[in-house]
Amino acid sequence: MAAPKPESKFIELKPFTDEMVVNMGPQHPSTHGVLRLELKLDGEVVREAIPHIGYLHRCFEKHSENLSYPQIIPFTDRMDYIAAMNQNWGFCLAVEKLMAADEKKGFEVPERAEYLRVLICELNRIGSHLLSFGTYGMDIGAFTPFLYAFRDREKILLLFEKICGARLTYNYVRIGGVSRDMPPQFLDEVKEFIDYFEPKIDQYNSLLTDNEIFMERTTGVAVMDNAMAINYGITGPNLRGAGSQWDLRKDEPYSIYDRFDFDVAYGKEIPEIGAVLGDCWNRYKVRMDEMKESVRIIRQILEGDIPDGPIMAEMKAVRPPKGEIFFRSEAPRGELGFYIVSDGTPKPVRVRAKSPCFTALSALQELSRGLMVADIIAIIGSIDIVMGEVDR
Amino acid sequence: MRQYFSNIYLGVYSVFIGMAITFRQLFKPSVTHQYPYEHSFEQKKNVRDIPQGYRGQLFNRIEDCIGCKKCEMICPVDCIYITTEKLPKGERLWDSMNVVHLKDRTEIVGMIEGDEKIEADTTVSIQTRERGAVEIPSEQVARVVERKPVIFYLDKFDIDMSLCMYCGLCTEVCPTECLIMIDTLEGIEYSTFDRTNLIFKFAKPEMYDKPLDEAADAEAAD
Repeated sequence: MAAPKPESKFIELKPFTDEMVVNMGPQHPSTHGVLRLELKLDGEVVREAIPHIGYLHRCFEKHSENLSYPQIIPFTDRMDYIAAMNQNWGFCLAVEKLMAADEKKGFEVPERAEYLRVLICELNRIGSHLLSFGTYGMDIGAFTPFLYAFRDREKILLLFEKICGARLTYNYVRIGGVSRDMPPQFLDEVKEFIDYFEPKIDQYNSLLTDNEIFMERTTGVAVMDNAMAINYGITGPNLRGAGSQWDLRKDEPYSIYDRFDFDVAYGKEIPEIGAVLGDCWNRYKVRMDEMKESVRIIRQILEGDIPDGPIMAEMKAVRPPKGEIFFRSEAPRGELGFYIVSDGTPKPVRVRAKSPCFTALSALQELSRGLMVADIIAIIGSIDIVMGEVDR
Repeated sequence: MRQYFSNIYLGVYSVFIGMAITFRQLFKPSVTHQYPYEHSFEQKKNVRDIPQGYRGQLFNRIEDCIGCKKCEMICPVDCIYITTEKLPKGERLWDSMNVVHLKDRTEIVGMIEGDEKIEADTTVSIQTRERGAVEIPSEQVARVVERKPVIFYLDKFDIDMSLCMYCGLCTEVCPTECLIMIDTLEGIEYSTFDRTNLIFKFAKPEMYDKPLDEAADAEAAD
């Protein structure tokens, strides 16, 4: 039972001290990449935190205009490199929907490919949340979760290495299917991992989530309520941490997500420990709960039968009809949208990626106002940004 | 006073114990690898197996390559450079034949007699150029690839591995499956002192006994 918390953690020093400008990053271990924050400090209290981005800009959108559709997929790997399977999938879903606009060019993705996609993307979601959990613990000051998370993430990467031949930039999900069928005994290995991993989540919860020091650092800090999250356009675990139950897999089910039984993890107000809706702790807790739901989905795939058949739809060439499409899918960090304009040639006219991390980062300025410098670290870890996706 | 000296004694004593442990290591075999000169994977120490199908270095079996340039076209980063020279019309370097890949990673080049489809528990007889007819039990056969008739001289087949992004698209479009990614430990070893060594050159112009183009040579000499 924690001691009762003060109502607000906002601190105002009177009189104000001299304003000091501190550059945090771009080479800072807790900014999760090359994020530079210009902190305007009043003593140790942050008056303003201005994020400067663009250090990892690699012209994904401009590159795409000069590449054919299958060639763009390896570039989407480099956006959110922690959950590259989901990025591949998001792009492929958009192109598939664009091609479905023309009856002659439309095709059905084979059942087996759909199951493989869900299986592999949910594994990737676990891996992504594990990394988020581990690095958040390390930012806050607990080193053990980092080692535990990377030990388990390694097992997922080994599975990916077997199915697609790469550890980080998979290029696995293709337009119309997946690139390779699974090797023999792959499902047994996935089951072995799931059986190993499921009890570990509770262990991690007792290791970090319910830790008194961790809760002291994160509960009630940087509260982003539901209205604010919606105003900023924030999606994914950050929105669900604010109490909203919005999950594209449930609300607008794409692929075969409507066949699985899972719950949407969302933030809860727990007065006993001081957790407020939309604080750092709730945003973090949603990710831990989501890992359990991903395990549930994978279990349903393993228990049901994965149908035999082709893994790639039959089509001649990827040449979508003239038109435009916006398609969004639920990546581990939020709604990943792709806007594609096609003029009927094999190369797109315009590709625009709507990144969930970019919108999450835009809320940082308002979230961090009036908090201590040490809380900035807690906020960046809790909104879980990947700079590769912010800058693209 | 007595405490003071016993502390000094304990401190010095523990230093000697520590030094004894360190000193013992002097007589143990060294575990350091002089990395660019010797690789730990050659000694099969502290390395795990790389799964089959891993996307490592690119390798082109140039004997099977027909110079179709599909890999050059699909490469997203344009790191494959191919130049070909077309033969006079109607001529070809060799006719279509089969390449039988065996499970022990060797291969036999020749024409399969009879049906090309390999059925289980039979023997496959292959008519080769060098060894005559060769008979192999079908369970040893891993796959059969058709080597297409070649109407090109492949003058240059370079891959700049320092640009490669390991997407594997080029290996998937290859019609003869001659461009592969090496899935062994050698396939992930790159250490070199000169970056130009990372441009892998696969073309073997000497294997064609190509007639010398005297006019082009004279032009190049000028």
